[in-house]
Amino acid sequence: MNRPTAPVGLDLVRARAVMLDSVEAWFTLQPGDRPVPSEGEPVVRGSALAERLREARTEVGGGPGSSEGQPGAWWSGTRARGRGANHAVEGELLFRSGGQWRIAAGEPSEPLEAPFDGVVSEVRPGAGIRVRTALRGLAGADALGGPSSGRLQFVATRDGRVRTSEIDVGGSGAILVAGSAIDAESITRARAVGVRGIIVAALGVKERREVVASERRARAGVHGLPPFAVLVLDGTISRPIATPIMAVLEAIEGRTVAIVSEPASLVFDDSGVELPTIVPDLVRVMAGPLAGVEGTWDRPAGPFRFAGGVIAEAGWVRFGSREPVAVPLGDLERFV
Amino acid sequence: MAGPAELPVSALLSAVAERVRAADADLATWPELQDEALDAVPILTARSRAPGSVLVLGASRRTVGDLEAEARQTGWRVATASTETHDPREMTSLGLDPTVDLVLIGISDPPGPDERAALDDLAALGGALLRRRSDLRIMTSEAIRSRRAWVDALGDAETASARAIDVPAGTGRRGERDALRRALDHLRQDPEDGRAGMRAVIGTLAELLDLRIELLEVGFDGGVRLQAEPGIAGALPAVRGVITAAGALVPPEPGDDTVDEVLAWTTGSLDRHRMGDRLRDLRRRPWVDGTGEGARLRMAAASAALTRLVAMTPELGAGSPPDLTVIAGGAFSGAPPNAMAMAVADTIRRTGSTQLAWDHASLLGPIGTIEDPGERRSLLADLVHDALVPIGSLVIVGGAGGPRPGGRRRAGRAARLTLTVADDTQRRDLAAGALTFVDLAPGTRAEAQLDFHDAIRFGRRTKRATVGVTGGLAGLVVDLRDVPLNLPERRDRRRSRLAEWAAQAWPRDDR
Repeated sequence: MNRPTAPVGLDLVRARAVMLDSVEAWFTLQPGDRPVPSEGEPVVRGSALAERLREARTEVGGGPGSSEGQPGAWWSGTRARGRGANHAVEGELLFRSGGQWRIAAGEPSEPLEAPFDGVVSEVRPGAGIRVRTALRGLAGADALGGPSSGRLQFVATRDGRVRTSEIDVGGSGAILVAGSAIDAESITRARAVGVRGIIVAALGVKERREVVASERRARAGVHGLPPFAVLVLDGTISRPIATPIMAVLEAIEGRTVAIVSEPASLVFDDSGVELPTIVPDLVRVMAGPLAGVEGTWDRPAGPFRFAGGVIAEAGWVRFGSREPVAVPLGDLERFV
Repeated sequence: MAGPAELPVSALLSAVAERVRAADADLATWPELQDEALDAVPILTARSRAPGSVLVLGASRRTVGDLEAEARQTGWRVATASTETHDPREMTSLGLDPTVDLVLIGISDPPGPDERAALDDLAALGGALLRRRSDLRIMTSEAIRSRRAWVDALGDAETASARAIDVPAGTGRRGERDALRRALDHLRQDPEDGRAGMRAVIGTLAELLDLRIELLEVGFDGGVRLQAEPGIAGALPAVRGVITAAGALVPPEPGDDTVDEVLAWTTGSLDRHRMGDRLRDLRRRPWVDGTGEGARLRMAAASAALTRLVAMTPELGAGSPPDLTVIAGGAFSGAPPNAMAMAVADTIRRTGSTQLAWDHASLLGPIGTIEDPGERRSLLADLVHDALVPIGSLVIVGGAGGPRPGGRRRAGRAARLTLTVADDTQRRDLAAGALTFVDLAPGTRAEAQLDFHDAIRFGRRTKRATVGVTGGLAGLVVDLRDVPLNLPERRDRRRSRLAEWAAQAWPRDDR
C-alpha cells in the first residue's frame, strides 16, 4: 500500500486523468452495415471502415442453405416474397426461419471513415469495429455523433460562450473549441456551414437532443452531410474548460484531431509538440457557488458543516492570495 | 470517513488513523495505528456490483410485459422487444449490443394464439445471437430450444448451447411468481456484492435484535426494500422484498419520466430541461454537489427512488409498520437526519409507529457479504450500536388531515400529544394535516399518547393512540398528513406544500 505523499491529504481528492496514452476506439455498426477492413488490417485517416445503410430494413430471401449460411455473413440474391419478389437483394444474414432468411438490407449511405490512422483489432458484423492507435487522446465525458476529424481551431476562450453569428464558413472542416457552453442554434449553424466538430465544457439536455436529431437527419438524407461530432469535456452544467485541458488544446491548435465516442476523447498526434505539465496541487471546484474556479490545495479540513446543515468531509483550498476556503472534498477534482 | 470509490484505500486509512491519534492520546501510542503498520490492518472489501443488462424478447407485447415486470424486480436493467413491435433487424441489433449480458426469450405455456406464428422467428433469432456473440447467455424454455430453427441457427457451434439457460418452468402469468426473479438474481450472484448481501444482513439483524425490520437503501446503481422477521422456534428469519436496479438514485440515461418523478419532490423552481441537466450531472458524479441546493436535489431524487421501490412492493405496504426502519445507501450520505426522516414519511405511508435508524457508515452491505452466518452475526453484534445511528421515531396517523365530509379541511387543533419521559410530561397541540418534529434525545425512551377529537386510523379506528417511542437525531416525528399523501396537482401549489414541510426538515433554510 502506498503511503500518502505531500501535499498532505491531496490524495483524498479524486484524480481526473487528462490524457490517454493510446486509444482503442469502438465504432458502432448496425445489422446491415458492411465492415470493409478485416481484423489486423491497418487503416489510414479517411479510409472506409464500413459501408453504412440508409433506411435499413428487413428483407426475406431464400439465401443460402441452412448448412451453408451463417448469421452475420454477407449475401446477395433475390427477394423471396412480397411485391418485389425475385428482385435483387443484398445484405447481412440475420437468421433463417421457415426456410427463408431474414436479411438486413437498405440503400448504401455515406461510408464510415476512419478518423485516424490505426490497426483494426476487432470486427463484429452488426455490432461494431475496434481500431487501435498509438496516437494520444484527451479524455472527455461524452461524445455525440461522429466519428469526425478536422483541424483544431479556437472560437472562444475557456470560459466563453459562442454566439451563432460567430460561426461562419471559416470553420468549415474544422473542429472548434467553443468554451464553456454552446446553444442548439449554434450547433445547427455549425453543422450547416461544414464544421466537423465542437469541443465544449458542458452541453445541456436540450442541446444534446438537437445534436442527436441532427445526426439522425443527416443519416437519413439521400445526400448525407459530412460527419459531425461534439465532445463534451465535463457534463451538462456550464463551467469553464479546466486549465490543464485548455493548455493541451492550445498546444495542439491547428493540428488535425479526431473526436471518437468510445472512449469519449479527442485523438491527436503529439509528435513534435511538448505537452504542458500538470501542476500537482491544482484543484478545481465542480459544484456550488465556486463551480469552475481553480485553486491550490492547502490541507484537509475534516468534517465541515455546509449550507443546508450538511456535514461533509472538506479540504482547505487557496484561491489566489486570499485566505483558504473550505470546500467539500466531493466537489473537488485534481488532474493527473 | 467516506469518499468516492476511486480514492485509494490507503489515503482513507491514513486520514482515519491520523484523526484517531489526534483525538485520543492513549490510542495514539498504539503500534497498530502508526503509519508504517497500516498495511497490516485487515480490510473487508465489498462493492455494489453494477447491474447487468437483460433483453427480454417475446412473441407478444403481453408476454414481454409480464416478463419485464418480473425482471424489473431484480438487479438487472431491462430492455424489451417483441415481434409485434420490432422487426428482425431491430431485434438483432438489440441482441448484438455489447452492453446486453443476457437475453430472456419468453413464451406462454402453452403458447397463445398470438404467439404461435412467431415462435420459429424467436428460436432462430436466439440461436443466431448465441452463435454470433460468444459472451452472451440466453435464458429460454425447452419449447424454444427444441425447435428446428434454434438447432439450425446454432449450426455446428455446439459450445454455444452451453450458454443457453433454462427459464424456470411455468414462468409467465400462470407461473410461480418468484421463480424467474430468483433465477435472474442467481445469475448475478457475486460474493463481494454489498447490495446483494443486504438480504443476508437484514435477516441476521432481525434475528439479533428480535425485531421486525425494514431496510430502505438507495444507491448509485440500485435500491433495496426488504422486510425481515425473526424466525420462530429456531427457524431462519424470513426476508422478503426486492433488490432492484430500478431503485437507483438516477438511472444511467435519465429521461422525461425520471425528470418528472424528481420534479414532483422538489421545492425549487427548476424547469424540466434544467432538471434534466442536473440529474445527468448527478448520475455522472454522484459525490459532487452534496451540500446546499445539491443536497436538496439529491434528497428529491432519493424520494423519487423510494417511490419507485414502494410501487414495486405493494405486499410490504400491508399490515403494521416494522419495529425498526433502517435507512441506507449513498443517496442519504451527509443528509440532515430530519430530511431523511421526512423522505421516509413522505414515501412510506403506513399508519403506525416505527423507529428509524441510519446505516451511516455503510457497514451493513459489507457485513452481508460474510458468508458464514455465525461470523456475520458475531460481527454485527459487535458493531450494531455503532453502525446504526438512531434517527428517531416516526408516528403516522391516518384520517387526521383529510377533508371533512363537507369537503373542507378541518381548522385548528386536531390532536393533543402527551409525551412522557420518565417522570416528565409535556403536552403539545397538533394541527390537522401537520408534520411535527419533537425534540427527543437519541436513546431516550418515552411514551407518546395522541388524543383526537374524531376517530382516526392508527392500525384501527380510534380516538386515542399510545405508543412507545425512542429518540434520535431527528427526535419524534408525528405525521398527521393524509395517508396516502394527497398533494396538489398544480405544480406551484404542490411545491408550496412541500416547501412548508421542508422548512422543518432542512436546518438554516434561507428560503
